[in-house]
Amino acid sequence: MKEDIVSRRMLSILAYTGAALTLAVAASVPFVLMGAFSNAVAHAGLHIDAAFSGGTVARTINRGAFRIVVYQPVKPRLLERIEPFVQIVFEPVDAMPARVSEEIDLDGDGQPDVRVGFSVPADPNAPLHGDVTALNGKYISFAGVGGESFSRMVVRAGKQIVVRVPLNRDLARR
Amino acid sequence: MASRASALERPAFRSIGRSLLLTLPIALWSLLMFTPTFRNGSRALSIGAVAVILFMTGLFFLMMRTGETYRWRRIFFVALGFLFPIGFIASLIAERGTMSIPISRMVSGDTPYCFMVTPALILPAAFARTIVFPGSILPTASNPHSIAVMIGLWFAFTLVLGKAWCSYACFFGGIEEGFAAFSKRRRLHRFVTRYGSILRLIPWAILLCVVLLSAALFEPVYCMWLCPFKTVTEFPAVRNVETALQFGVFVTLFVGLVVVLPLLTKKRTQCGFFCPFGAFQSLFNKINLFDIRFDREKCVDCTLCQTSCPTVALSKESIHEGKTLLNCMKCGACVDACKKDAAVWHLKGTPVAVKPERARLLFLYGAWALATMFGGSILANSVATMVHWLPLK
Repeated sequence: MKEDIVSRRMLSILAYTGAALTLAVAASVPFVLMGAFSNAVAHAGLHIDAAFSGGTVARTINRGAFRIVVYQPVKPRLLERIEPFVQIVFEPVDAMPARVSEEIDLDGDGQPDVRVGFSVPADPNAPLHGDVTALNGKYISFAGVGGESFSRMVVRAGKQIVVRVPLNRDLARR
Repeated sequence: MASRASALERPAFRSIGRSLLLTLPIALWSLLMFTPTFRNGSRALSIGAVAVILFMTGLFFLMMRTGETYRWRRIFFVALGFLFPIGFIASLIAERGTMSIPISRMVSGDTPYCFMVTPALILPAAFARTIVFPGSILPTASNPHSIAVMIGLWFAFTLVLGKAWCSYACFFGGIEEGFAAFSKRRRLHRFVTRYGSILRLIPWAILLCVVLLSAALFEPVYCMWLCPFKTVTEFPAVRNVETALQFGVFVTLFVGLVVVLPLLTKKRTQCGFFCPFGAFQSLFNKINLFDIRFDREKCVDCTLCQTSCPTVALSKESIHEGKTLLNCMKCGACVDACKKDAAVWHLKGTPVAVKPERARLLFLYGAWALATMFGGSILANSVATMVHWLPLK
């Protein structure tokens, strides 16, 4: 009986200590805790899925005032619904001529793989008209697409023009 | 709702002086939270901050004075639910002229992170170190609501609140709580009571599907197909049949689960019978120190508590065991509804119904402090938006 009372009292003391700690945690959220947890997430080695981010940069091509950043091909995982694609970023928009037409080597073999053309309207909210012509069977041509899917697009994103060229599914697997 | 502690029915729970004294820490905390706004914010934001400080402190005072929790918390929560979309949509319209999010903003990482997607991220993050959401990990000038910031905030809150996140922080829950409050009559009550045990399982089933499908398809399935709140925040721009279908699903779920069913049942039907994030959040009730318990010696099995619970977190069996179910969000509705003082706030590890007010106070200080910090800043922002609209010079 006496032991029971002692253990109950011990439990109560622990409970109130826990409650006080919870209050301390609440008070520290805006000053310490939120930042600490955010840092932990930021340094956890995570990355945004390549379907959204475009993947990793393969190389950069300088074209005088502007540059072209070519990314590694993004291939879908087993059940992922996207088509395989390669992202190309043109930046900065301010330094580009009114019409851009470039032949680009995407796989680094020294031969151009696609021809990308688009107009650069002065108004950043104006629709972008672009077309991609594949110069070999590995890539798929498309035209007049503003942002149809994550695998094929010519869109303006801030100070960049983002182009995604779909890869031929059969050849992409090799 | 049959409310035991209505100010008209019984004398005040505490004296004004004692209530003011107990409110003082929250008043000081509110001032501390909004000091940076007064220093650096615009005039409209400062007006919003003053309004929120008075609002939050006033509601806490009323909680102390009357001994009631639910109805004062509900005022805050409904205000949060209805004002959040105003501020959010206004910022979207000002920035991009539309509520829809174009694909260009998704690929540039400008989608603000929403905590509802958190459970779906766990498996891809654990096994592929990949986040299947089109935001940015670190905050940027164009997207301050980055993934790291929002997950950090959510996790810190969850340590303090557990499932009470759903009644003190989730701005979406406030919308349906508002619609549930509009209705005077409780319809479909028998149906909800009879099939409550099955209805309660639906969010768990949806959670399982969402987590597994998101991991298999590497896409945020809930955001893309099932979130009713896309209707009042932002949604993928309609650009083909699939996105048109998605938009149709969002609107249908919003109208059905957030507007019509709460109006009919006076329950938070989306939260109780659908929300996978709510189910996920229930797990954190296991590590939270506070809960609601029932004093079996006082309970007369009138089931007023069960009727008043907005998310069907009580069953006859659980009341007999003196406990709530895992999905209890500690809103206080059952405690306020109980005429026999059998439903009580409780600190785990202490005897049931011994000093329940102390447990309530300990819980409320933490919960209200965080509600003021997070919900308060959202409210201040929305008030500032409305001040901008006013034709004042």
